[in-house]
Amino acid sequence: MDRRAVHPMAWIVWATSAGFVAFVTTDPVYLLLLWAVSWFVYAGHRVDAEHARSFRLFLTGAVVAVALRTALVFFGTVSAANTTFSFLEGLRLGTILVIFGTFNAVTDPFGLVRMAPRHFHEPALAAALALSIAPRTVAGVGRVRDAQRMRGITIHGARALPALAVPVLERGMEEAHTLAESMDARGHGAGRRSRYRPQPWTGAALLIAVTAIGAAATFLAASVGGWAILHPQTSPIVWPEAHPLLLAAVGSLAAPGLVGRPER
Amino acid sequence: MSDALRFDGVTYTYPEGARPAIEDVDLAIDEGSFALAVGPTGSGKSTLLRAANGLVPQFTGGTFTGRVSVDGRDTLAHAPRRLADVVAFVPQDPGASFVLDRVEDELAYGMENLGVHPVHMRRRVEETLDLLDLAGLRDRSVRTLSGGERQRVAIAAALAAGPRILVLDEPTSQLDPQGAEDVMAALQRLVHDHGMTVLLAEHRLERVAGWVDVAIGFDHGRVRSGTPADVIGHLGAGPPVTRLGRILGWDPLPLTVRAARAAAAAGSRPALPPRDVARNDDGHGPVVAEVRAVSASYAETTVVRDLDLDVHEGEVLAVMGRNGAGKSTLLRVLAGIHEPSEGQVRVLGSKPRPGVDVGLCPQEADELLFNDSVEHEVRATLVARGEAGDAGPWLAALGIAGLAARHPRDLSAGQRLLVATAAVAATDAPLLALDEPTRGLDPASKERLIGFIRAHAIAGRAAVVATHDVELAAAVATRVVILAGGELIADGEPGSVLGDSRVFAPQMTRVFGPGWLTPEQVAEALT
Repeated sequence: MDRRAVHPMAWIVWATSAGFVAFVTTDPVYLLLLWAVSWFVYAGHRVDAEHARSFRLFLTGAVVAVALRTALVFFGTVSAANTTFSFLEGLRLGTILVIFGTFNAVTDPFGLVRMAPRHFHEPALAAALALSIAPRTVAGVGRVRDAQRMRGITIHGARALPALAVPVLERGMEEAHTLAESMDARGHGAGRRSRYRPQPWTGAALLIAVTAIGAAATFLAASVGGWAILHPQTSPIVWPEAHPLLLAAVGSLAAPGLVGRPER
Repeated sequence: MSDALRFDGVTYTYPEGARPAIEDVDLAIDEGSFALAVGPTGSGKSTLLRAANGLVPQFTGGTFTGRVSVDGRDTLAHAPRRLADVVAFVPQDPGASFVLDRVEDELAYGMENLGVHPVHMRRRVEETLDLLDLAGLRDRSVRTLSGGERQRVAIAAALAAGPRILVLDEPTSQLDPQGAEDVMAALQRLVHDHGMTVLLAEHRLERVAGWVDVAIGFDHGRVRSGTPADVIGHLGAGPPVTRLGRILGWDPLPLTVRAARAAAAAGSRPALPPRDVARNDDGHGPVVAEVRAVSASYAETTVVRDLDLDVHEGEVLAVMGRNGAGKSTLLRVLAGIHEPSEGQVRVLGSKPRPGVDVGLCPQEADELLFNDSVEHEVRATLVARGEAGDAGPWLAALGIAGLAARHPRDLSAGQRLLVATAAVAATDAPLLALDEPTRGLDPASKERLIGFIRAHAIAGRAAVVATHDVELAAAVATRVVILAGGELIADGEPGSVLGDSRVFAPQMTRVFGPGWLTPEQVAEALT
């Protein structure tokens, strides 16, 4: 049994759908529910501590995004209406970050590369390298901070920054270089490729993909058909609406938290 | 027989290198050889290894003259990826070479690139998993493996692609003694049964000298090849049995325990009695560190279980045990970096302050280097202590004063480890903890490190050394503990703990019996 039981394509569908939902609404009810859903999915599928760290990084980034977007208001006329508007815009951005963080934590970027069609192999590889930088850097920061503490250098304040940044960046560069070397030495891009044990498309993966597409389709219908309010009025501020069908659609995005969980 | 690997007049200088890293190298390695590259740290071994599949100069740049051919193919005319079907390379830092996440996928990666048929691929992955005893790890993420496991996976991943030539840079440096022996046995089987050509660089000659049939000696960029006895004898280095043979004037010089036993038996001297191991019974000094009922874990995995341990003044404690036994975690707990989940740790009576009471040099020593010169690196530690002191004495103590002005990045892995060790030692902490301090060190550097650790302990302090290097433990430890599954399973004098073990016995014990640890002890008793 594969440690990561769900086909990566199901995750791509899930993340795209959830991202689409977040993109078309600024209703805090749906958005906050998406945060909860993302956390639930992440908690069910995270595999090791490194993923946990990288998820936390995205979560922090999301909170910062909300705060910064809201703070932008203070450069203009401050009113309850435009503060709320900015906050909701920020919340939407933060939600997309959280969804991406979940996707990053539950999938293996290099596993995705192997799925890419041959012609997209190189761009997919570049993307995977970029995706793997965040978790690598986070792990590196922790290790370097520990290493410096063990020789009496505590890292706080700008003056101590080189002690943290130099080894992290230098090691990161070195690792990237070794990785590139290793890939070349192991025949990457040498010619025709074959696939080792392609991952099966399981019932769980199918369920995840279908519910995700359903959720996205429901929001698309609401957006086009106008039968539900996706952008609550902020001037004057009204209590946001929660359409039962849309609530159910967002809720169904939690399906991966229930099926195909990896063995621990 | 034809040449698997051939160097003709190869001289190579790194970009920004002042001198050539390898100079005028002529070398031919026959197909089916088991070859060892040996020489001081920084003498060009890694460069030569990386030139074998064209990574030098195709990836590194620099100035290259001469010609390297692999199985008849010129490495300048073929990109490294075009040589992947004949030559595979396992770098010094195996963790950094992993491309995929799962162990099993990592093994298949090279074959996927070569377009091997899925059916063959599956079978070869299974065979390779068995060959290196990795079946139990097949679903693990490579990032969660211990150092030794990573090394075995990297070797397996290189092998699985089915190359004719395998090049390995210090393949046993992260392995426990048993793991190292298993890897060497697996390599020998590939050479003997499948006609593969293996070229490896290694400093721990006691682990490899008996297995190889060709040695390539390095001396500041110049090479000379011949039989292992000839080359190792000429270099003036060698495993403990060779050093003993040199002291006692044995001819030929023994390279293996077996040869040393034969030489000792052939001599007219009386056999040595078991050495009295209870020689250090004059009571322990005051306690420096105490570990009481400590358990420690990462995420959900318990790594150290209910452990009790005292470290006394004047002691050099060697912590041994197989890969993943909890040695590094114990050191981190002692240093106050890792909070135990249960129990408590005291250093000089209070909670350990990292960098003050305990200085710990981690296994990935590169992670603490951030200055532009070796001298500044050590001074950074002194400055953190609030001292404007001179880095000179610390560099001199570890024999790296000559590197003071060099940039750490330009040094060899072994030299960088010494720099990191000096930077940690400069904390002047009463408890010095070193995690695998001899990785990549040549015998001369190791000798200086041993002197340094001893001096630290003799000055009324203590040292804890986690190591797989039994010869280091034999030479430096005043006490040895062995961990298994995070529990303490042996604790005592090195003579009895190491003498009592099949796996951890040093060479002198294997030749002369329990209690004999170093060639110097034996030579003294015999002359």
